Amino acid sequence: MAVGTGHLETSTGLDNRKLLMWLFLGSECLFFGSFIAAYLLYRGRSTVGPYPEDLVDIPFTSVSAFVLLMSSVSMVLALAAIQRGNVRNLQIWLVTTAILGLAFIGGQAYEFTEFYHEGLRIDTNLYGTTFFVLTGFHGAHVTIGVLILLSLFTWSLRGGIQQKDSLNVELAGLYWHFVDIVWIVIFTLVYLVQPQ
Amino acid sequence: MATIAAPRRSPLSRALRDARLAAEESTGLLNWLATIDHKKIGVLYGVSAFIFFCTGGIEALLMRTQLVAPDSDVLNGDQFNRLLTMHGTTMVFLVVMPMSAAFFNLMVPLQIGARDVAFPRLNAFSYWTFLAGGIFLNASFFTEDIFSGQLGSPDGGWFGYAPLSLKTYTPGHGMDFYALGLQILGIASLAGGFNFIVTILNLRAPGMTLFRMPVFVWMTLVTSFLIIFAMPVIAVALFELTFDRLFDANFFDPSAGANPLLWQHMFWLFGHPEVYILILPAFGIISEIIPVFSRKPLFGYPFVVFSGIAIGFMSWGVWVHHMYTTGLGTIANSAFGISTILIAVPTGVKIFNWMGTLWGGSIRFRAPMMFAIGTVAMFTIGGLSGVTHSMVPSDYQQQDTYYVVAHFHYVLFGGAIFGLFGGIYYWFPKFTGRFLNETLGHIHFWIMFIGFNLTFFPMHMSGLLGMPRRIYTYTDGYGWDLYNLLSTIGAFTIALSIAIFIVNFLWSVRAGKKAGADPWDARTLEWSIPSPPPHYNFAEIPQVHARDEFWHRKYQEDADGNVVPVMAGAAHATETAHGGDGHDEHHAEGIHLPTPSFFPLIASLGFPFVATGLIYDYALIPVGATLIIVGFYGWALEPATEEVD
Amino acid sequence: MMLLRKLRQNAPGLLPALLLLGLLALLMTGCDADVPQNTFDSEGEVARKQRDLFYLAMWPAIVVMIGVLGGILVMCLRFRERDPNSRPPKQTHGNTRLEIAWTIAPAILMLGLGIPTVGLIAELGEDPGDDAYYIDVTGQRFSFAFEYPEITDADGNKLFLPGEAHIPTGRKVAFRLHSIDVIHSFWVPKLGGKLDMVPNVENILWLRADKPDTFHGQCAELCGIEHANMKLTIHADSPEDFEAWENEQRASLNATPPPTPVRSPTPTPAATGASSPTATAAASPTPTPTGS
Repeated sequence: MAVGTGHLETSTGLDNRKLLMWLFLGSECLFFGSFIAAYLLYRGRSTVGPYPEDLVDIPFTSVSAFVLLMSSVSMVLALAAIQRGNVRNLQIWLVTTAILGLAFIGGQAYEFTEFYHEGLRIDTNLYGTTFFVLTGFHGAHVTIGVLILLSLFTWSLRGGIQQKDSLNVELAGLYWHFVDIVWIVIFTLVYLVQPQ
Repeated sequence: MATIAAPRRSPLSRALRDARLAAEESTGLLNWLATIDHKKIGVLYGVSAFIFFCTGGIEALLMRTQLVAPDSDVLNGDQFNRLLTMHGTTMVFLVVMPMSAAFFNLMVPLQIGARDVAFPRLNAFSYWTFLAGGIFLNASFFTEDIFSGQLGSPDGGWFGYAPLSLKTYTPGHGMDFYALGLQILGIASLAGGFNFIVTILNLRAPGMTLFRMPVFVWMTLVTSFLIIFAMPVIAVALFELTFDRLFDANFFDPSAGANPLLWQHMFWLFGHPEVYILILPAFGIISEIIPVFSRKPLFGYPFVVFSGIAIGFMSWGVWVHHMYTTGLGTIANSAFGISTILIAVPTGVKIFNWMGTLWGGSIRFRAPMMFAIGTVAMFTIGGLSGVTHSMVPSDYQQQDTYYVVAHFHYVLFGGAIFGLFGGIYYWFPKFTGRFLNETLGHIHFWIMFIGFNLTFFPMHMSGLLGMPRRIYTYTDGYGWDLYNLLSTIGAFTIALSIAIFIVNFLWSVRAGKKAGADPWDARTLEWSIPSPPPHYNFAEIPQVHARDEFWHRKYQEDADGNVVPVMAGAAHATETAHGGDGHDEHHAEGIHLPTPSFFPLIASLGFPFVATGLIYDYALIPVGATLIIVGFYGWALEPATEEVD
Repeated sequence: MMLLRKLRQNAPGLLPALLLLGLLALLMTGCDADVPQNTFDSEGEVARKQRDLFYLAMWPAIVVMIGVLGGILVMCLRFRERDPNSRPPKQTHGNTRLEIAWTIAPAILMLGLGIPTVGLIAELGEDPGDDAYYIDVTGQRFSFAFEYPEITDADGNKLFLPGEAHIPTGRKVAFRLHSIDVIHSFWVPKLGGKLDMVPNVENILWLRADKPDTFHGQCAELCGIEHANMKLTIHADSPEDFEAWENEQRASLNATPPPTPVRSPTPTPAATGASSPTATAAASPTPTPTGS
């Protein structure tokens, strides 16, 4: 009777790993919340430029936000596929999600480079510091997510993911959706809502 | 967790499997390095925490030696600041937290009737990451020229206020070790927090509803929730500090327009729940000990549980009481003054419940009980000085003086440490099958009790006579001399008591009086299995019918609460405290536990490499990252249990 | 050893009781001491009110302490196990009414203490107003510097005093606190509680001295290696003497171009390590005695 197999009955009825993922995401709320709080606290307080209004490119960022949102859709499709036992579709949608995620990261990289050329660095002013650290950590989370997705994809190529193993995909999906939701919050607060 | 159907074994895969099986067979170092058994991990945590207790204690003794008299020059200001920083950081993060983790590990699965925690490898990872962080942090001592008195350790105080913690004002690498070391320790704590929540919620024996759980398990649950929500906040603060120091970011730099108080807000948002993380496990331990040695149940179990939960919630709403003198204004100070006044209530209620347990009891003054009662008494004093802190304007005088030092040592040493020692004396027989020597235990208690009060009670006075904290020297004529002298004498007295404990421990492990499964006539499930427990804990997972399930298998109560012995031949007879006979061994043959694993250790090793790389040489970072990635992937891909051919 | 054992058996509570009494005695010793930073020896309105609030909590706290610790002691004596072979006692599980009572009663008492607390927070946090005497104080590693906007020379240069200040008695003196490097804390215990000096923030602390005297204080926030030696002195003068001192200072300012520093009573040790590059301590090699 091995412990933590996920096949056991648990006192709450929830799978151990699913409970773990929810708890983890709960703590991540505090993590991102703290960086967001620092950003909001220092908004409008930079003593030197460049300032957000000089740099922010809403149309561009809206497109990359949309891309990330669409990746959540493909993630849902991936999970639905494996829950029905369709490994081939799982693989298609996993790769799609990963590609969309990479596109988002590409967009971030482009934006960071643009800002850098305009003179915004992590040490330039309060905006540079809070912006790069907040969005940088988010980008790191997306990157880790892409790695997880590609790992799942590789695993499934070896036949390692069958219908009965759909929980693994579900867990990755939970993480991916969370990262997406965090981006919605960041996009709103950092890009869309500008102080007067 | 056999999610891979991988029947074909590559040579690498076979080698890894053989290593794991070898570790399982071994009884030496190999086994300990790869263990995922909660009992062994508990022992590892306990021994490591105790060693750090001694290093933190030596740091204190050095400080007390410097302060024994005015105008002393045993230590200079720089050395003193490094020692005070390491003393506080060590005691909080390397002693009380891991010692509590030791008890979570040793006791929770046994008390809920489980065979291990929900994620045994994650458990091992927590331990090794903690050890890596603790060693990394202490390595800082040696990074400058220690033989000519230059210590390299952090020097910004255990709460590292900005801007002092910025590179401009604390140059050198000390504060980088602080920030990165605590980051590593935070990962360990987080992992443990997740693990115990899932374990407690999901792995309880059939019939054990939440309100039939032992109070220690409840306190572990609340503490774990506090950990998983508080640690991310300090992680963020530490990242921000690290970026300021290493990459010239501007989170706390006043010259860029930053507000240094941001650090304090973030630190104390973490820091206040943290102090409840430090005390709740000890509260849980004494809530087990006092009923057993009074021979009656905990008075008001629901209230004790609810007050613990209340403390968990309320602890998020009081953090500004560490910042009353920073000038936040009338409204903030008033609001947090009220919330701080209120949080005294659920804490105080527990004291009355413990006293209610003593009332009408049949009290046996064995060593665990001495420490438990000592905890209640000392925490009362510390709690009351805390109440005086909540009278905000008088805190304007008390803040940053020795009065505060007195307060938190009464609650953390008098409360947490005494409680943890009580737990050691109480559960030592379960894990070793022997008692700690009772006479030496009493001597330890009394000398520590006297030494502790002698050290910290005078600090109330010196604080109110205007002695600030964290000063490396003082001149005479301020009225502080006598109190400092007494404190130093007391500190060395404490050290003597610890030496006695060490002798007791080392002797008793080998030659202590033998103890059976239930040496204390106790109440909870861990006493229903042999001492020491078999590696599978329970031959048969118990069926739970009541709170204090084990007690009710021995005794029954009539309607008035009077005790009557259990009828002979009752249905539970086979489940009473006679583990280890052939019946159980036979049962046990069918039990397969997860195989030991080296990957948690490998992953843990990566973190200090990354941290060292960030400070000294970026080339080390990919080395650390590789270890982490290899560790995590190996862990994910290996089966939880290896099939033996 | 034998005596201890006899004591333990026959009067098991005696040792702890004696300890407790010893502690209490120790508690009482220091209150009256005439020492420079005694928070009980209030010589200013703010300090006095803070001390009185403290007493409001301290006395009940001592009573509770004696009650609880004494109660524990009494219970340990009364309910100690007399016969190791006896059956366990009655298994009382609790008493809901009692528990509710002992939750609500302390809550009410504590909230009661909250009322004068909030009242005093508000009073002390009030803007000192235009009638107060304003002095700017700057904390830096490792000294305090006082600047007087009301004492200037003909060109508007303000009086600058390192380490020591004069204030008038019987009047609100408002210290505007700044820091040019790390966080320090301004604290003169006999006059009142402390307030931090935070870079980029201006905190205002008002104090009022009862009568002429010399008051000592020191920095109360770890600020580096010489934090222990960052001290200050405040001389409170009667209103007439203070006015005379002000005029004297004004005359000195107008006579000599750089402000004449007052000799600092405690030698300020050389700041080691990285102190702020913008330190502006004006130390004169020839100290001039103050006339007061």
